[in-house]
Amino acid sequence: MTSPKNQKQNKIVKDEDFDLIQSINSGQDERFHDLVERYEQKLYNFSLRMCRDHRDAEDMVQDTFLNVFRYLKDFRYETKFKNWLYKVAASTCIKKRRKSKFAPEKELSLDEFRPNDDTETPEQVPEWALMPLDKLLNAELAGAINRAILTIPKKYRMVIVLRDIEEFSTAETAQILNLSPANVKVRLHRARLFLRDKLKGYFENEQ
Amino acid sequence: MSSDDHDHKHCLEMFEKLSEYIDGELDHATCAEIQKHAEDCVACFSCLETLKRTVALCKNVKEQPIPSNLSAKLKEIIANIPKTDSP
Repeated sequence: MTSPKNQKQNKIVKDEDFDLIQSINSGQDERFHDLVERYEQKLYNFSLRMCRDHRDAEDMVQDTFLNVFRYLKDFRYETKFKNWLYKVAASTCIKKRRKSKFAPEKELSLDEFRPNDDTETPEQVPEWALMPLDKLLNAELAGAINRAILTIPKKYRMVIVLRDIEEFSTAETAQILNLSPANVKVRLHRARLFLRDKLKGYFENEQ
Repeated sequence: MSSDDHDHKHCLEMFEKLSEYIDGELDHATCAEIQKHAEDCVACFSCLETLKRTVALCKNVKEQPIPSNLSAKLKEIIANIPKTDSP
């Protein structure tokens, strides 16, 4: 029988990267290229959504991989490698921001988005919310979405990107960002409402 | 939202939970309550559908390819990292 002490030991997560990480950590450094190839595009897109221009995104990808290379030996397989990678990326991004001289980020309050009692009641759901997604989503709209995402204050943007674009769960996002799941939910809701209002504006201007 | 036959306070309570509803993170009773409310309230139904669509658009927006020079640069940087022995 397993003793309670053993039950408390952290479970090793054997994901699709397990063998590759094992071989890198056992001395096959050249296999790090395989890891980079596996994640460079995903990480580049994550970085693009966190930074405001391509050059910063490229720097972020480079710094993230350098940090991963540096700390991979400390990876304990307690989580999926992908989650750990994004934790490194998010922390690289936060550190970069601290070093820069940006003004403090805007806080989003739910009151900004809360419908008022005297708001005119919409008679129907707007067309953009009802028409088939494949008919709606074209290159121009994709560009507008990407631009709108960049206008979300960063601490909310990180959450919506991890949840709705990278498709991590609430618990995984909380772990990546060192937040409570409740905090992730609060930030996600506000980020979605912010983005929804931007999209509303986009479609209203289109008509 | 100013319809006579329903309580605006109820709309606000629903409004706060819409993301959790979309993500299937609410208990069955609360889900049923939101569903029922959305059927009766056009404003909340519209709010829910536009929010759902926002999430769907995020999930379906395509990734951009990595610039080929960045891929090459990463290879070069990694090849030049000094090899360290295990502690």
